[in-house]
Amino acid sequence: MKVLVPVKRVIDYNVKVRVRSDGTGVDLANVKMSMNPFDEIAVEEAIRLKERGAASEIVAVSIGVAQASETLRTALAMGADRAILIRAAADVHQDIEPLAVAKLLAAVARDEGPGLILCGKQAIDNDMNATGQMLAALLGWPQATFASALAVADGTAEVTREVDGGLQVLRVALPAVVTVDLRLNEPRYASLPNIMKAKKKPLEEKAPADYGVDVTPRLTVVRTAEPAGRKAGVRVGSVDELIAKLKDEAGVI
Amino acid sequence: MDFALSEEARLMAGAVAGLLADSCTTAQLRALLARGDSFDRDRWGRLVAMGLPGALVPEAAGGLGLPPADFAPLAEACGAALLPEPLVEMAGITLPLLAEAGERVLLARALAGEATVALVHPRAPFALHAARAAAVVLVEPSRIRLAPTGALRITPRESLDPFRPIAEVAAAEGAETLAEGTAAAALSARAADRGALWSAAQMLGMGQRCIDLAAAFVQGRHQFGRPVGSFQAVKHHLASAQVRVELARPVLAAASAQSPGAGPATAARIAHAKLACGTAAEAAACAAIQVHGAMGYSWEVDLHFHLKRILALSAAWGTPAELRATVATRIFAAPPGPETLFPEEDARG
Repeated sequence: MKVLVPVKRVIDYNVKVRVRSDGTGVDLANVKMSMNPFDEIAVEEAIRLKERGAASEIVAVSIGVAQASETLRTALAMGADRAILIRAAADVHQDIEPLAVAKLLAAVARDEGPGLILCGKQAIDNDMNATGQMLAALLGWPQATFASALAVADGTAEVTREVDGGLQVLRVALPAVVTVDLRLNEPRYASLPNIMKAKKKPLEEKAPADYGVDVTPRLTVVRTAEPAGRKAGVRVGSVDELIAKLKDEAGVI
Repeated sequence: MDFALSEEARLMAGAVAGLLADSCTTAQLRALLARGDSFDRDRWGRLVAMGLPGALVPEAAGGLGLPPADFAPLAEACGAALLPEPLVEMAGITLPLLAEAGERVLLARALAGEATVALVHPRAPFALHAARAAAVVLVEPSRIRLAPTGALRITPRESLDPFRPIAEVAAAEGAETLAEGTAAAALSARAADRGALWSAAQMLGMGQRCIDLAAAFVQGRHQFGRPVGSFQAVKHHLASAQVRVELARPVLAAASAQSPGAGPATAARIAHAKLACGTAAEAAACAAIQVHGAMGYSWEVDLHFHLKRILALSAAWGTPAELRATVATRIFAAPPGPETLFPEEDARG
């Protein structure tokens, strides 16, 4: 079974994000970029499936600027077999919208014929949480989102989902789209030999036009603002005072 | 000369820094210290699994054969994380020395993570983590020998850096001779160059980490309704330290790009790198401690770990006086200038 893993190049999760002065988004110039952490978990899960013999090939796909090839090299160094970069933007500040990404991934899926598409549940830059669901709808495949455990056998995938108040277990027929959550696994660090081998693994470059997809933005960012600064706390003198404040001022008890 | 790191080198540095950010926090180091230990087997296993011990060992000898310029950011990351295990010393100095000396049995065990190897060298006379090592390489003026740890008398010495246990190693009878005469002298010189170079890289990493810690602190601490980092008296200290780190960075890059070499120019370049990185790192650590105020001197703030490691590394693999003498030899041997800055005849490999 072939596994397709979309990976997105996003601002590194350790970087303190700064809003651009014109409010159109966050400043990405000279900022450290990395693979979206949820996508990293998806890559790791695909590798584990391959190590268990449940998958035969892992194809990583990224859609964005040319520098996304570095993200794909990371996926290859972790253990993906080959990669496809769809160069859909020239400016690092241009975010390809989820519907366009889903259409491109659907086209790639039709070409590649994977048995499973493993996506991160959302990208940490725009938090859309939409691509996986849209992709499943476009392909007409079953979907299971927010996976915290995954087992593949006999043409089905059993997915444990973290839902409010507990866990839900779904069984979907393959091919399917599964989006992965934080606790599915802990991604490995690529070893030095694998980083060196990754350089020789195939990385194919494509354009949206090759798939007949228009990536023109449909959404307009009206405003971007930093969250309000955290206010200083208040030191209380006793438990009674704390209870009084929670009851009378905060109104939470 | 192109100092930019390749995509591959950036990936490697990122992977090592990521692993150390997870597994080598100062909270973990303090817990290690509380147990009276300075070696974490689990972390060492993960570093070995990444292939790090063989980074500079030639492929023919079972290593990865990385160019030295690609190893520098890995050593920087190890320094920044205050890695207590002797990875930089083993991967950067001892194992390449074993490979050059033609030793293969112990080398294979070390690359597989089954053994650690300590080193005694005239420029680093105390062995690191010797009691835990399977063997010690003894570099002497006229020969290089290899002895199993059990055959040596190892006397622990007090270490400035609590994570770097050092020991005096008494020469053993019956140790295996790896090289003698001019061959030994050449191997010894190359080991000394590597020792100085990777000490420089570690110190540079620590200098940058000190500045980062201090910058985060002064942005979060407020006085008179403003972050203390907004006051010139504070921020100029850190800016000056950052300038010194930035000016040391290309010196290290130049030295590692043309290392190892065999002439006075390469020796001077490496000596210059260690001087520049050492003084920059020490200045950065001192500035970071100063902008922390009185608490900068306390045990609870991590900066003293960095300063102790920087001072320990400054004294190893060439004191500042020895390094300055090496640079002087180069200056008086050939006039400095752009045409003699990177002489080709001096480079090897």
